[in-house]
Order: sequence, then structure tokens, then C-alpha cells
Amino acid sequence: MKLNAFGLLAAVSLGAMSLATPAFAQVTLKIWSIDGVDRVGIADTFSKEFDEANEDIVVEYRAIPFDDLVNETLRAFATGNAPDIVSFDNPDFALFSSRGAMLDITDRIANSTEIKAENYFQGPLNSVSWDGKYFGIPKYTDTIGVFYNKDLFAKAGITEPPTTWAQLVEYAEKLTDPANNVYGATFSARAGEEGTFQFLPIIQMSGGGYDNVATDGAAEVLDLWKKMVDNGWASKDVLSLGQWDSTGTFNSGNAAMAISGPWEVNRMVEDAKFDWGVALLPTITEGGERSSALGGFDWGIMSTTKHPDEAFRALEYFAAQDHRIFEEFGSIPARSDIELPVTGIATKDAALKVFKEQLQYAQPRGPHPEWQKISKAIYDAMQQALTGQMPSKDALAQAQTTINGILGK
Amino acid sequence: MRRFLASLRDGVGFDILLVGAAMVFLVAMAGLPLIYNVLMSFQQVDMFTLGSLIRPWAGFQNYIDVVREPAFWLVTKNTFIFVFFSMGGQFIIGFALALFFAQNFPGASTIRGLFLVSWVMPGLVVGAIWSWILAGDFGVLNTILKGLGIIQSNVFWKSDPAFSIWAVVIANIWLGLAFNMLLLSVGLAAIPRDLYEAAELDGANAFQRFWTITLPMMRSTIGAVLSLGLIGTLQQFDLFPAITEGGPANTSTVAQYWSWQMSFQLYDFAKGATISVMMLVLVLIASIIYVRSTRHEVRG
Repeated sequence: MKLNAFGLLAAVSLGAMSLATPAFAQVTLKIWSIDGVDRVGIADTFSKEFDEANEDIVVEYRAIPFDDLVNETLRAFATGNAPDIVSFDNPDFALFSSRGAMLDITDRIANSTEIKAENYFQGPLNSVSWDGKYFGIPKYTDTIGVFYNKDLFAKAGITEPPTTWAQLVEYAEKLTDPANNVYGATFSARAGEEGTFQFLPIIQMSGGGYDNVATDGAAEVLDLWKKMVDNGWASKDVLSLGQWDSTGTFNSGNAAMAISGPWEVNRMVEDAKFDWGVALLPTITEGGERSSALGGFDWGIMSTTKHPDEAFRALEYFAAQDHRIFEEFGSIPARSDIELPVTGIATKDAALKVFKEQLQYAQPRGPHPEWQKISKAIYDAMQQALTGQMPSKDALAQAQTTINGILGK
Repeated sequence: MRRFLASLRDGVGFDILLVGAAMVFLVAMAGLPLIYNVLMSFQQVDMFTLGSLIRPWAGFQNYIDVVREPAFWLVTKNTFIFVFFSMGGQFIIGFALALFFAQNFPGASTIRGLFLVSWVMPGLVVGAIWSWILAGDFGVLNTILKGLGIIQSNVFWKSDPAFSIWAVVIANIWLGLAFNMLLLSVGLAAIPRDLYEAAELDGANAFQRFWTITLPMMRSTIGAVLSLGLIGTLQQFDLFPAITEGGPANTSTVAQYWSWQMSFQLYDFAKGATISVMMLVLVLIASIIYVRSTRHEVRG
């Protein structure tokens, strides 16, 4: 009897073990991103949904502040604790993909029904590419254009937004009104990535790129910017203001034009007590080459992952939700096959139409594994020229020397 | 054996045990990171070799590269301006305030205590507040200066290369003032009253009393305050990201901010380490002065 009871117990426990097996076979995916630090975002929301929709996968999501994300991931990668999936700002992506820290997913994309490379805008797609292979997919995108105060334009007798930089400066002079604390224009020439974000497009318009910054066109526009700052048509504080604060002065009516991106639109709808519109970034000559900055984050799978199949399934799930990100989070999908929904707010819909057009001209920063150093050379040159420490041409030439050193030329 | 155990409980062994515990702590928490940092400044450090100790040897190449950076001399100049004027401002105003509050008037000690508020505040908060005060177009300081008729048009403290380093110096003086004042107040309180009484009987005026009694008696305190001030100023980091971010065009970048920027913004860890080793030499000199000035301190 005793033996039987023991046998029964053994059978029961064996059965229990076999029942419990699926739980043991669960795959854990670690996903890191900046979303969810201060407000709900794309990564935290979709990670949770993916976790709940898949019995066999457990998602451990971690929100990391923007400033710490790259450092934290570097450290984790160096010590073998890297996440499976991570979402980087697009210029930071090449730092990882070029060193073999990201998983090559070219073949997986080719076989995927959900993710198709041809659906993505070229700029964002370039930022996840390295050496002709895909190491990730774009998460969302943004760019910059010129916001302009239609009321102030009408008051100054200007009907159309500027199409060239020379025109922008000419208008800025007309729109400046010190008595009412109105500057003609505002932008961000800050000592940081935002500064490069706003200035690199100019270099690209002039036929250059991050590897060729000392162009005549770029020096010409830099001189124009300096003219605006020197004459008080733009505040000297453009050198220290970030884009969000700079555009804040536009919203309060203290600047008639502002260079910034679609992330401003929701706040502007609420704050701006005037009629406003958005125009494409001006060109250097009438009808000249267009360019604009490319912002936005990318998704990637780290090469150290033990579950590449499950991780790619997660990316497919995220990509399948792209049609929701504008409505829920105000982010623009980096895809040409998704139509943005109409919101019914006239200024907002008009603005998004312009930004959508501007996105076709947006070019990525890099990609280069030492992007941060290149970026510093560029914004240092911009600031040296704007503060008059060096003529624009010399400043850009010095930046070129520094960049050549980084590129090993 | 028994003698050994006995000495552990009460004797030389006990002393060694106590000193040893402190030394182990020091070596583990300060010594090893320091050596690691020095080692890193002689190596080629890649972001993906961060976790390993053995890396390609670079010799003095990192030092040469740092000195050859276009910003090097500008940063050196800024660092000296920042350190010298921050310390000077903190010390002189702090000393003046300490002397002022050493006078007996109602509420003297209470008000002196209130000065601590500036010292208790985190650097980032102080930086954010000063960032608003010093703002160009709508800053409080510009409004006041214009109201007083001192300036005609706005001074762009944070964006004008001629003023950016001074913007941080002003904020840092404010931040370090209370610390200087308190330490100096303690020194002042320790000077025996009868010295002053005797001097007064001999007919010494206020300036003579200050010059011949206060200053000499305060020598070791002043030495300590200045050395701690130097260390504190070289450590001051929070104000830079909060006020100027080292800009415009590096005109307000100092060594400690540059080192951080190299390591954690440009991911050039070797250069970051190299700059901090260069600073270490400076702090070392200050520490020697500090130790020497406090050696003669009479306690009890």
C-alpha cells in the first residue's frame, strides 16, 4: 500500500511537471528604449501588448532616460548583459551596427510578409543600414521645416513664406520689431546634436555631406545666419536654446519664423494665439537642391540575443502597429504606404502635409560609428562662425580637418 | 599567540587593524579606480573593450592628442579663469560676510544659518535657476541691470563668447559662498577675544587688528578653505550642463566638463581619462597645500 501511494505521488508529480513544461519553455525578451520614462510611448505600449498576445514570450521592458541609453547599452554589451531588442536615436545606430553589436536581419526582412524594406522612406532606412545590410527597422521619423506667423507676415506685407535662405533673412529683417519684442526668426544653433541637426541640412543642400562640410554654399548660409544674429533679427540666444525652447518664443509671438519639427505641432495648436503655417526648409538658390534633417528612432536586435526568431517576431508586431503611432503618440511613421489620418484641425493637417513632403528630402546624419565626434566638429564650426571667432570658411575648413582625421582620410 | 591576540584587543595590533580597515576601504573605493583611470589614459580604449583590463598600449599618444585638440588651450584658459575667479569671489565675499556676521547684532547667527540654503541645493537646481536669471531676452539679471541703467541693451550671458564663462563663474560663486563663509566663521570664532581686547587697549584700529590678529590667526583656516575651494571648483560640473553646455564654441568649456564630454558624449574614453589625469595633478598640488596647512592646526 505504502509503495502504491508513493508510486501515485510520483505519477502525479511527473504529470504536474509535464503540465508545467510550457511555462519553463517561455522565452524572455529584454527590450530597452527611452519610451515610458516621462510619458507613455511607442515602445512600452507595444512591448506590453506583444507580451500579452504571446503566451510563449515574456517581455521584460526597461525604460532608460535618453542621455543614458547609449552608455547603458554599451556597458551592458561589454559585460554580456545586453538586451535582445533596443531602440536607438538614428545617428547612434551605426555606432552599434558597425561593430557587429546588432543582428543582421537582411534575410529575415526579405522573407517577412509584415516588414518590407521598400515601404520605408530612404533616409530612415539608410540609418539602419551598414555595409549594404539591414540591422534594424525605422521606428518613426521626423524632420524640420519653417514655421511662420501668418498674422505678422500679413502685417509686414509679406504674402508667401521664404523659399531661399537669402529671402528668409530679408524677411527676418522686415519682421523684426524690437519695440514689441519680436525677432524675425529663431532656430537652434546650440552646442549639441540639435545644432548639427539644424545645420547639416544646409551643408547637404550645398552639395556636401558630413564628410564634406567645407562647401561654399554652407559658408554662405552661415554668413547669412550670422548676419541675422549680429543685427538682432534673431536672438543671440539661438546659440544656447534648444529647439523646444526656441520654438517656445515663436509660440508666444516673440519670433515671426521658427525652424523646428512636427513634434511642436500639438503644443503650437494650444499655445499659439495667431494663424500659422509651415513651409519647406529654404534652399540656397531659387529652385536649388533640397534637404532636411532626419530625426526619429530605430529598432534593432542585438547580436548577442539567444532568441533571434522571437525578437524578430516582436519587430514584426511593432511594424504592424505603425498605422497607430501618429494618432496615439503623435509620431510620424517612416513609411510611404501609411496615410496619416485627418485630424480636423486645419493648421495641424496642413502642417503635417508639409512635413510629409519635407520627409522625402530628409537625409540621415551619418551613418558613421564615430558620429558624435563628427557632429561636434560640425556644431563647433557653426558656433565659431556665428560668434565671430572665425570666418565661416575657416571654421568649416577646420571642421573638415577634424572630420578627415576621424574618417582616416 | 596569546600576546598577539592581546595586542589585537588592546595595543599595536588593534591600531593596525583599524588603520588596515580604513586602508582597504580607501584602496578599494578610491585607489583602484584611480589606478584604472591612469592606466586607461595610456591605452587605446574602444567602447567595446570597456569591460577588459588589458588593451593595446598607447604610450603618451593620448596626451599628445589631447594637447593637439584645437580646443585645448581655450579649455585650459577657461579652467584657470573659472578656478581663479570662482575661488577668489567665493573667498573674498565669503570672508567679508563671515566678518560681518561675526559682529554682535540681533539675528546675526540666524541669518548666517539661512545662507546655508544655497549650499544645500543640488548643483543642477542652482544651474537651472541661474540659467533663467541669466537668460538673454527675458532674464531677471538683464532686467535689473537695465532698470539700474548699467546696461543699455541685453547682455547674452549664455550665448556671448565674451560672457559665457563668467555666467558660470557668477553662479558658482553664489553656490560656494556659504561654504566659505561658514568655514571662515568657525575660524573667526576660535580666535580668543582677549587678543582683540589687548590690542584695543594698545590703541590698534580695526584695520590693524584685522591685519595683525585676524589674518595670522586664520592662516591655517584660510589655507584649508582655499584648498577645499580649489578641489570643489575643479569638481564643479552640474552648473555647466545646466547653464551653457560648454558653449558657445567651447568658450565656457572647462577641463572637468571636457573630460565628461569626451567620455560620455563622444565615447572617447581614453581622452576623457587623460584629461582627468591631468586634472588629478592639479588637485594633488592643492591637497599637499591643504595637508600642510592643517598639519599645524591646534585642536582641543
